[in-house]
Amino acid sequence: MKTRRLFRAAAAATCGALLLAGCSAGNPGTSSATAGPVTTTWPDPGAGLQGVTLTLWMSTQTAAMADNVIKAFEAKTGAKINKVVIPDVYETNAPTKLATGAKPDLATWQPTGSMLSLLKPATDLQSLDGAPWLAKQTPAIQKLGLVNGHHYAAFVNVPSVLGVFYNKSVFQKAGITSTPKNFNELLSDAQKIKAKGVAPFFGAAGDQWPTQWWPQVLLAEASKKGLWERVSQNKEKFTDPEILGAVRQFQDMVKQGLFNKDDKTSKYTESGPALLKGEAAMVLQLTSFASLMQSTADTATIDREIGWFPISKDGNIATSVPGGDNALVAFKTGDPKRESGARQFLRFWLETYYPDYVKSAGTVSIEPTVPAPAGVPEVVKQASAALDDAAGSMQQNAAVNPDFYVNLANMVNGTMTPEQVTSTTQSQFAQLAQALGIQGF
Amino acid sequence: MLYPSSFLAPAFAVLAVFFFLPTVFNFVYAFTDWSAFHDDIRPVGLANVKAVLSNGALLSSLRITIVYAVLVAIMQTGFGLGLALLLERDTRINRFARVVFFVPVLMSALAVGYTFQALLKPDGPLNGLIGALTGQHVTIPWLGSTTWTVVTVAFVNSWKWMGLAMVIFLAGLKTIPADVLEAARIDGAGRWRTFLSIRFPLIAPAVTFNVATALLGSFNGFDTILATTGGGPAQQTEVLDIYIFRVYGNGLFAQATTMSLALLLLVALLAFPVIGYLRKRERVL
Repeated sequence: MKTRRLFRAAAAATCGALLLAGCSAGNPGTSSATAGPVTTTWPDPGAGLQGVTLTLWMSTQTAAMADNVIKAFEAKTGAKINKVVIPDVYETNAPTKLATGAKPDLATWQPTGSMLSLLKPATDLQSLDGAPWLAKQTPAIQKLGLVNGHHYAAFVNVPSVLGVFYNKSVFQKAGITSTPKNFNELLSDAQKIKAKGVAPFFGAAGDQWPTQWWPQVLLAEASKKGLWERVSQNKEKFTDPEILGAVRQFQDMVKQGLFNKDDKTSKYTESGPALLKGEAAMVLQLTSFASLMQSTADTATIDREIGWFPISKDGNIATSVPGGDNALVAFKTGDPKRESGARQFLRFWLETYYPDYVKSAGTVSIEPTVPAPAGVPEVVKQASAALDDAAGSMQQNAAVNPDFYVNLANMVNGTMTPEQVTSTTQSQFAQLAQALGIQGF
Repeated sequence: MLYPSSFLAPAFAVLAVFFFLPTVFNFVYAFTDWSAFHDDIRPVGLANVKAVLSNGALLSSLRITIVYAVLVAIMQTGFGLGLALLLERDTRINRFARVVFFVPVLMSALAVGYTFQALLKPDGPLNGLIGALTGQHVTIPWLGSTTWTVVTVAFVNSWKWMGLAMVIFLAGLKTIPADVLEAARIDGAGRWRTFLSIRFPLIAPAVTFNVATALLGSFNGFDTILATTGGGPAQQTEVLDIYIFRVYGNGLFAQATTMSLALLLLVALLAFPVIGYLRKRERVL
C-alpha cells in the first residue's frame, strides 16, 4: 500500500515537473546562448577541416545541386558534409523538423523575407553581412536575402523572375508578330490564339501554387510603389481595390476560357510539355520553368521554339521571386568550429569553386567576373537580365507569406469569389503577422 | 502476489512520457502563442480558440472530415463483408485471393495514393480503359470534381483497408457454429435468409470492430488523401489533418495544436455513442 502511494506521488511529481519545464521552456532547439554578436571571421576557403562534419539540409528539388561542390570541398579540406534530403513539402517539413530541436549547419532555403522569418533569422541564423563573396555578386543580388537590413541568405544562382514563356510557332500561326507591351495587349493576343483553337495559357491549378503568379504580375507596378510594404504595415489590405482588382482580372481570364480545359486538375510538370508541343501558347512561370523544359528538350530546341517576355499591368516589368534552389542559409548551432566550417563551405562554393559550379550546373552566373557557360537557354539569359529592373513579389517584399494560392485555386474551381479570396487571405496574413509580432496587427 | 507492484514503474514511466505527456501538452500548447516566429511561449488564454473559430476553414474541414469518415466506414465495411462472404470457403483459389486482397493493407498509404492519382488522371489508364470499352474519348477528371472527389478518395482509402475488414469478417464468420447453420438449413432457410437472420447478427462483434476502426480511424485521414489530391480541388478533400498540417507548416504551431484538440474532442464525442450503439447490437448474442 505504502509502495503504491509512494509510486503515485512520484509519478505525479514527475509529470508535474515535466509539465512545468515544458511551460517555461522556449521553442525546442533554440537557446539564448546561441544568440550573439555578428560574425566577423571568414575562414580561408581551402583551410583544413579534418574531423569536422557539417550537416546540410536540402529539398528533393535541390537534392543533387551541391553534389560536385561537396565532393570538391571534402577533398580540399578533409571536412565531411552530411547531406540530408528533407521530403516534400520542404518549406513545411523543414520548419517542423526544426521545431522538434533538430538543427543543421547549412540548408537550402527560399531567400525571401517572409520565408526567412520562419527560421527566426535574428537568433537562429548566422548573419552573412560582410561576406567576401557579396562584393563579387551583381548589385541586384546584393539587395536580396535581407531581413531587417542583414544578409541571411547566400545566393548561389540567379533568382527566378516571373515572365511569360511562349511558343513561337503558335504566335506566328495566330498572326502575332511582336510580344505584347502591356497586359491589355497580352489579353488581345490571347483572344487571337483562342480563335485559332489553341489554349492561350496553360494554368496548373491542380498544383494550386501556380495560380498566384497572375495577380502578382498584375501588381508589379504597385509593388514598385511599396504595395507589399504597406500591406505588411496593415496600411493597405488584400481586400482594397488594388489587390482585389488584380484577383478579379484573373477571374475574368478564367471565365473567358483563356486557360487549358483541364486547368483545374493540371500539374506544373505538365505545363512544360504542353508548351513545347504547342498545346498551349503561353505559360506564366518562374525562370526555373526552363529547367522543366530542359528535362524533355535540348537547348537548341528550346531556343528555336520558345520565347520569353516579362509582363505587368502597364508594361513589361518582371516580378522577382527568389526560390528554394537559389540560396543557402547557415544556422547558429552553438558550436564555433561548425559555424565557422559552414561559412568556409559557402566561401568555397561562391569563390573558389564558383566557375566550376556554374559550368556543371549550366546556369547563369551571378558573379560578373565568371562567364556564363555554353548551353544556357536564351530564355534564361533574358529572364536573368530582367532581374535588374524587376518588382518584388509578395513572397519577397511582404512580411509573411499567406496561402494566397490556395484561395486563388479555390476561385479557379468556382468555390470562392474574388472578395472571399482577398478577405480570407487578409485574415491569414493578419494571423501570421500577429504571430510574428508586427506592429499594427 | 508474485511480483511487487513497483515492477510496473518502468511501464508506467514509458506510458507517461510517450502517451500521457504529449496529450497533456496538446492541451497546454493550445492556449499559448507557440509559433515558428519567436523563441518564447506565452499563455494567451482562449485567443487561439477564437482565431480558429473565426475562420470558416475549421468548420469546413470538420464537415469534410465527417463526410469522409462516414463514407470510408460504409465502403470499407461493405467491401470487407462482400469479400469475406465471397472468399469464405477454404478453397485454394480463395486462400490465394485473400492474400491478394490483403496486400494493399501492407502497402504504403502514400504509394497507394500516388498510384491512384496516376490511374485517375483525365488522360490516365482508367479513362483509357473506359474509352476502349465504350469506343469514345473519355476524359473524366476523377479527382477534379468539387463534389465527388471526396467520394473517390474515400474509395481509395477503403480499397487499401478492405483486406483488413475482410480478415476480421472471415474470423467472425468462422466462429458461427456449424449446427446453427445446419438447423437453419433444415428449417428451410435459403442463403439470403440465413445471412440476414443468422450469420449477420452473429458477426456483430466484427461489425463493431470494423465500423469503429474505419470511422474513428478515418478522422485521422491524412496520407492517402495527401498523396491523391493534397486536399484539392478547392479544398474539398482538405480533411482536418491536412488543414492542421498546412497551418503548422505556416509556422502557427499553437493554432494547429488547438485544431488537433478540436479533432480529439470530436472523435471522443462520436466514439462513445457509436461504439455504445454497436455494442448494444451485440447483446442479442
